[in-house]
Amino acid sequence: MSDVTIAEPSPARRTLGRLAWQLLPLCPFALVLAAWAIYWTIARPPPATLPAPHDVADAVWELAARGDLATHVAASLWRLLLGTSLGVLTGVIGGFVAGLNRPVAAFLNPLIVFFNAISGIVWLPLVIGWLGIGTALAVFLIWNTVFFIVFQNTALGVQLVPQVYEQGVRALGGGRWETIRSVILPGALPYILTGLRSGLGFGWRALIAAELVGATTGLGQMIYGATEFHRSDIVIGGCLIIGTIAMAMDRWLLLPIERRTIARWGLVIDARKEQ
Amino acid sequence: MRRTVQALRNMTVHPTASANAKIAVAGFRHFFPTADGPMQATDRVDLTIRAGEFVTLVGPSGCGKTTLLKALAGFIKPSEGTILCDGAPVRGPGRERGVVFQELAILPWRTVRRNIGHGLEIARVSRSERDRTVTRLIELTGLAGFEDRYPHELSGGMRQRVAVARTWAADPEIILMDEPFAAVDAMTRLTLQEELARLCAATKKTVFFITHSVDEAVFLGDRVLVMTRHPGRIKAVIEVPGRAAGRDWESFKADAGMQAITEQVLRLVREERGAAAASAAAVGEAHA
Amino acid sequence: MSAANALSERAGFRHQPALAAVRRLGGLKILLPFAALIAAWWAIHASADFSPQVLVSPLAVWRAFVHLVAYGVMAEYASTSLRMIGVATVLSLMVGVPIGFAVGVNRYAAHALEGFLRFLQGISGIAWLPLAIIWFGFTHATTLVIVIYTLIVPIIFNTMIGVRAIPPTYALALRSLGASPLRLVTDVYLPGALPSIVVGLRLGMGYGWRALIAAEMLVRRGGLGDLIFGARTFGQIDRIIAGMIVIGCLYVVIDRLIVQPIENLTIARWGVLRA
Repeated sequence: MSDVTIAEPSPARRTLGRLAWQLLPLCPFALVLAAWAIYWTIARPPPATLPAPHDVADAVWELAARGDLATHVAASLWRLLLGTSLGVLTGVIGGFVAGLNRPVAAFLNPLIVFFNAISGIVWLPLVIGWLGIGTALAVFLIWNTVFFIVFQNTALGVQLVPQVYEQGVRALGGGRWETIRSVILPGALPYILTGLRSGLGFGWRALIAAELVGATTGLGQMIYGATEFHRSDIVIGGCLIIGTIAMAMDRWLLLPIERRTIARWGLVIDARKEQ
Repeated sequence: MRRTVQALRNMTVHPTASANAKIAVAGFRHFFPTADGPMQATDRVDLTIRAGEFVTLVGPSGCGKTTLLKALAGFIKPSEGTILCDGAPVRGPGRERGVVFQELAILPWRTVRRNIGHGLEIARVSRSERDRTVTRLIELTGLAGFEDRYPHELSGGMRQRVAVARTWAADPEIILMDEPFAAVDAMTRLTLQEELARLCAATKKTVFFITHSVDEAVFLGDRVLVMTRHPGRIKAVIEVPGRAAGRDWESFKADAGMQAITEQVLRLVREERGAAAASAAAVGEAHA
Repeated sequence: MSAANALSERAGFRHQPALAAVRRLGGLKILLPFAALIAAWWAIHASADFSPQVLVSPLAVWRAFVHLVAYGVMAEYASTSLRMIGVATVLSLMVGVPIGFAVGVNRYAAHALEGFLRFLQGISGIAWLPLAIIWFGFTHATTLVIVIYTLIVPIIFNTMIGVRAIPPTYALALRSLGASPLRLVTDVYLPGALPSIVVGLRLGMGYGWRALIAAEMLVRRGGLGDLIFGARTFGQIDRIIAGMIVIGCLYVVIDRLIVQPIENLTIARWGVLRA
């Protein structure tokens, strides 16, 4: 037996290490911010091209103080909520119907794939004629985006629930509805949640795009409106807010849902396999 | 139309079962549709199981044991033959025929307690009574302390205990078990077998138990059925006397009579395995 | 995913005759749902009196399509879009894969960058469009930048994941055989990460194609997005729908006939490396 002693890191060093690990993800942001500030100080570009970091902060603050920011964010989130709820509801129901019925699934699949390929913004020129500019348009585009993703994921999830679970419940005397309620619904949940997560991300992006082109309020419109006045500070500020909201939704909405359901059941699937 | 034909088939001359048969299988043969045409899963199977019996079935891989069990459970409809349960033909899965599977079949999103109580939930048993039954079974199967855990937090052996408890809680008259302990480690397996023997003795169920292991088959069964290799039929039926006294592995191993029966069954099974290996080699040569 | 296997287990025997008939159609059966859809469309259009501003018949769309093709318009706009996605893909791969590698080999760098990349993904290329317009004007450069941005994030992300998923024992084994760092890259890291890179490429192209269309709608410098948005201004619904169908078909062609076979090839040859 060798007599090499392995030095254990001291408790202080370990907590320091853990702290560093937690803070590491902030580094790229800090780096970008620093680079931005340094470049600006050296090159002094015109404000329309690249405003200073503090200009952006000021612009955002001003918007917030005036209450405009709140209005825009509220409008965007409201549309997102509507569109996503509709998309999830219809997507889950549709996905179940398809997943439980093999011939139906096979028949619908090519359609789903095709419409997924043109989901979202591609519908804008057509739908703007039907619904005009504003919330209805945005909600339609979001619904469109979310529906196909959730549908596909739900159908897949339903089909992949191991048959033995269903058989077990049948042997306990459970009928069709009991099977759907206690086996298929929870069993497909990991995939439904993946669909929801992707859908939400896509929906948010589609929303911004929709607002860029056809809205009177909302974050997308705020950015696009600022473009006309060459207010890059508002544009950049808006983008950062959009990104922040996306992260917040994922972290404080979806992750807890995941944790309380599928993580608790030990059923998390590979997040990389996004549909 | 199909039902009339089926009814006619039921009336044709097959060896009819005795009056007190709990399960009567007559002329059972099954084919699976495949891309290359129907594949035969079992050869003709006839067997009867009396109420309160513990019948075990041993046979080599692929002989169709699981197919037979699935037909008994009502998951598949037999291509040929009849399966009667209490005199009535089996039409589909149901409460009266509980099933314990080989793979994990308890629901991962329910706690141990809720899994065990699931059958009672379906039967709309009152909350208080359900709790009572579940608690009793948790004690009987040695799961005390784990009631509120999820399956993924349990070991393989514990999960199978939950599966057994779940089936028992629903109180079916017949219990079908498909190699339930195959995926459990050897030590736990011995314990589970003893627990199962005790449970059955205490609750007087009719059990049909499939296994690969000759030891297990003789240890647990009142009667051991030996199945031939694919496509299988029942080759031999061996009676195992003296089960009512309860079983544990020590006394089982020490009992000369039991060991003799085990030898006999083992010989019968080995014949099939040898034959299976020989035919597989022949097939291999044919394809070479 | 063994969805096919799961489905075959659930095969409904009562559907056998119908399925057999469909199977005889062979590869053409994929057109059946679309035929049904077009039939339904025709029926809906014929049943009510739709203004040509709202809905047109499939025949009108076909005629518009033929018209556009005959005058070379479709070819021109489509090729602009295809060229753009092609160039963006190549550039994104050339830049994204090395970055992904460089970051992936170091777990600290990977951990640091992961959150940042997610943040960027949340902002989406389209949100940056106004800023890009301010900087580059209404030009092809703007569109290219946006599409590259959209494509590069999933590529870097998935390259990172792919590299990190390679069991360290592979590299160690080769090192003990005396392999140089270059050898390690070509023999271990590149093939090992390839399946994941291809997944990233596939995801990226999905996002990128949509971002491209959206960008073209705003920049209006050619491309299919410009085509359908322009048709909107003249109320030419038939052209809009024709354009949408082309957009969808092109994407499906690129994805199913080009990218997916590459994905299958790498996975089939090297097995499932991502766990």
